[in-house]
Amino acid sequence: MNRQIRRLGIALVVLFLALIVQLNVLQVIKADELANDPRNSRNAERDFGKPRGRILTADGRVLAESIPNPDRRSPYAYVRRYPGGSLYGHLTGYFSFVYGTTGVERSYNAELAGRKVTLTAKRLKDLLSSKTITSDVTLTIDDRVQRAAAKALGNRRGSVVVIDPRSGALLAAVSTPRFDPTPLASTSTATTKTAYERLRDDPTKPLLARAYRERYPPGSTFKAITAATGLETQVVGLTTPVYPTLRSLPLRFTQRPLRNFGGSECGGTLENVFRISCNTSFAQLGLDLGPDKLHDGAVAFGFNRSPPLDIAPGSAPSTFPDVPFFVRNDPALAQAAIGQGQVAATPLEMALVAGGIANGGSIMEPHVMAEVRDSDGNRTRSEPRNEWRRAISPETAAEVNGLMVSVVNDGTAKRVALAGVQVAAKTGTAQTGRNTAHAWIIAFAPAENPTVAIAVIVENQPEVSTATGGKIAAPVARRVLEAALAAQAQ
Amino acid sequence: MRLTRLAVPRRRTELGLIVLAVALTASAYTLVSLGKTATVPTNIRPFVAVIGVLLISAHIATRRLAKFADATILSIAAVLNGIGYVFIVRLRPDLANKQAAWTAVGIACYIATLVVVREAKRLQYSRYTFFFVGIALLLAPLVPGVGYERNGSRIWARLGPITFQPGEVAKLTLALFFASYLVEKRELLAVAGRKVLGVHVPEFRHLGPILLAWGFSIAVMVAEKDLGSSLLFFTLFVVMLWVATGRTAFLGLGLVLFGAGATTSYHLFGHVRTRVSTWLDPWINATGSGYQLVQSLFAFGSGGLAGAGFAQGRPGRIPAAYNDFIIAAIGEELGLFGTTAVLLCFLLLVGAGLRIALRADTAFDKLLAVGLTTILGMQTFIIVGGVTRLVPLTGVTLPFVSYGGSSLVVNYVLLALLARISHDANARLGESAPLTWWQRRRAKRAVAAEVTSDAGHGSGNDDETRMLGGPG
Repeated sequence: MNRQIRRLGIALVVLFLALIVQLNVLQVIKADELANDPRNSRNAERDFGKPRGRILTADGRVLAESIPNPDRRSPYAYVRRYPGGSLYGHLTGYFSFVYGTTGVERSYNAELAGRKVTLTAKRLKDLLSSKTITSDVTLTIDDRVQRAAAKALGNRRGSVVVIDPRSGALLAAVSTPRFDPTPLASTSTATTKTAYERLRDDPTKPLLARAYRERYPPGSTFKAITAATGLETQVVGLTTPVYPTLRSLPLRFTQRPLRNFGGSECGGTLENVFRISCNTSFAQLGLDLGPDKLHDGAVAFGFNRSPPLDIAPGSAPSTFPDVPFFVRNDPALAQAAIGQGQVAATPLEMALVAGGIANGGSIMEPHVMAEVRDSDGNRTRSEPRNEWRRAISPETAAEVNGLMVSVVNDGTAKRVALAGVQVAAKTGTAQTGRNTAHAWIIAFAPAENPTVAIAVIVENQPEVSTATGGKIAAPVARRVLEAALAAQAQ
Repeated sequence: MRLTRLAVPRRRTELGLIVLAVALTASAYTLVSLGKTATVPTNIRPFVAVIGVLLISAHIATRRLAKFADATILSIAAVLNGIGYVFIVRLRPDLANKQAAWTAVGIACYIATLVVVREAKRLQYSRYTFFFVGIALLLAPLVPGVGYERNGSRIWARLGPITFQPGEVAKLTLALFFASYLVEKRELLAVAGRKVLGVHVPEFRHLGPILLAWGFSIAVMVAEKDLGSSLLFFTLFVVMLWVATGRTAFLGLGLVLFGAGATTSYHLFGHVRTRVSTWLDPWINATGSGYQLVQSLFAFGSGGLAGAGFAQGRPGRIPAAYNDFIIAAIGEELGLFGTTAVLLCFLLLVGAGLRIALRADTAFDKLLAVGLTTILGMQTFIIVGGVTRLVPLTGVTLPFVSYGGSSLVVNYVLLALLARISHDANARLGESAPLTWWQRRRAKRAVAAEVTSDAGHGSGNDDETRMLGGPG
């Protein structure tokens, strides 16, 4: 029997050696891979108690910082707080242990947490030295513009997005209603859960970043795209054709003609119909363009694409129906040409449309990061400045720019006009119910050399007329443009 | 050689090792408290006193009742039990008192076993008692009103206020039964029947037992969904059969039957398929069926070489970290150093067990020691291999380390049986007063000198030389 016992001994040693080899594979060879797997929540747990870098506005206001935990018994040495409060809730996002990380906290997590630096240190060394180099992220958002936008919008539901059309930098992005991220980043799971569940169950959806996550029918602001596409493809000129003056446009494949708001009568040259936002003429222009050109024009401006915004989760794409949808469906095409029906856009997208026209037809990559500096003061990342889409030619852009100027000087957007600065704009009223509409405006200034572009939407206003956008959204845009131009002048 | 002592009671060595085990456990306990709350535990003195008293009682009992027993097994078990307890304190403080109570019961059972079992070989006369007790225990969880299902396995029984896993006890009584059955039948089983393809195949009627064990382990697996135990039973029986008969054919046959059983159950049972697919690729369903294994792998990876430190990791993420997956928690907090140390403890325990088997002088003692050691070794391999994804995961406890009363108590009884066999064998070699330390040293030198001068003769070179070499 002893021979078998010795062999059994060898067999068991071999089995144990296999175990030790496997442990070496897991704990040495694959250790880094396993430790840094995104599904390994230990990283989040480890980071959670560690100090993170700050998030700042362009003008130096602290939006997020880590402070030593006042609760000494807590396993987490630091807690995250958000002095920017609800005004910046959607932008900073929250750093929650329970619900994960969103916003800039997530998109720049590696820099804020400083993991990219510590990764070079080995585990054994980590035990001896706990130095972590975190980085501060400075945003392109200007606190003065952000506050002006929030104030102008008040507690009405909606959104304001302000960009610098030359770079794509966001100067302000406001969505109402809003939320305060601080309780969501609490070290107490109970506090976090209570706060989150209250926000989640709120029917006004305060967690929704309307500015880039919600799609609305763009209404007449979309006519800027229809007009630009018409001019770019030479289906229409500034003075020809002259659209017939109509109350309603009869359409094929339907008994119901397309009517102007309030049954009014309009028509004329592109200059004229753009200024007064004539539905029947633009519906006709849409039919003249046909599905292909209108679709391609919308895509050129960024529809059906997600703008590469550096806030997590990213921007929702704006949508324009595919060409086959319009086959034998003139009513849909006519509706699409005036920004109704199946067309839907985020406020960010409409700000990018305004920015593209303002920037000679080139839409820059939208972004909020101005720079990243590590705790030693070295700049590790700088602001991107890349074209996202070439929407239209500079010539067409100049023509649409002119059209939008006349909307402000002698059209539906008079209330956005500023003393001493020429503003260009297009209003919109997107009907959402029998007696409610979203009030829109897109604008940029100064028209001759634009440095600010804006989109404003105020949801569900109790009036449906061509004037709604000009009456409700234009004054908001005016105050924000004023603040943005003042901030840039400094 | 001039050695006059044939056997040396090594109780002082044991005492020294036990003191080390207590010191190690107390340090780990302190570090966990420091890691958790940055304070030295307030009850550190009573803690040291309690484990000290427990282990010293076991030591004194060994001294009185099994003076010549192996010196290492009790202290190795103490270290494993201590590390396990510290991790249970760290992971599930609410269960720590229960585990402490079970440890006390375990040590009481260790002592009781030494008291009751005065000679290991007498156990073989109660063969069928063990058999029927084992079968009854195995089937107990299936009895309505006694057994109940927990975590998808029907392996629990309730008796008054106490719940336990009868299967843990059954593996011990069945090992006892196998040992005595095989000792009697081994001659018959070893007889070659026919030669098929150059291999001797025993006659069919002698194959009865192995087929029975195979069928039985499958039945248990089906009825109780306890893959780990059925694998353990089957391996145990095949190994004991092979050691008893010396016929390698049984190993081959065992392998074939294992393959057939595994394939059949794979096709018949969903939970077996799940285990296999999770083993092959846990990442596909990392949040579902693969969750536990994936979390375990993350724990090992995050632990790395040196580990996060006591109470500095996050092993709470692994379901059942205090139980079957405790080695993953150790891996995360103590790193590869910690897991390797634990495995080496088990390897030493297995080594000690097999050494006891080699020295035992009755076939029954040998076979029983082999069986008990196989239980310890295979159970360790099955669970550590499962948790590290070396083999498909089947839930068994890590002996002495995992939380669980039934397992702990049974393993202490197992340890006492090994101590008893070891004592019997050593004592038979000659009882005498212990050597003083200088006598031992002088003897060692004499042996060394002799080995050097007699190198050409190639006489024994391990420490057994000292034991066996004598006037003859």
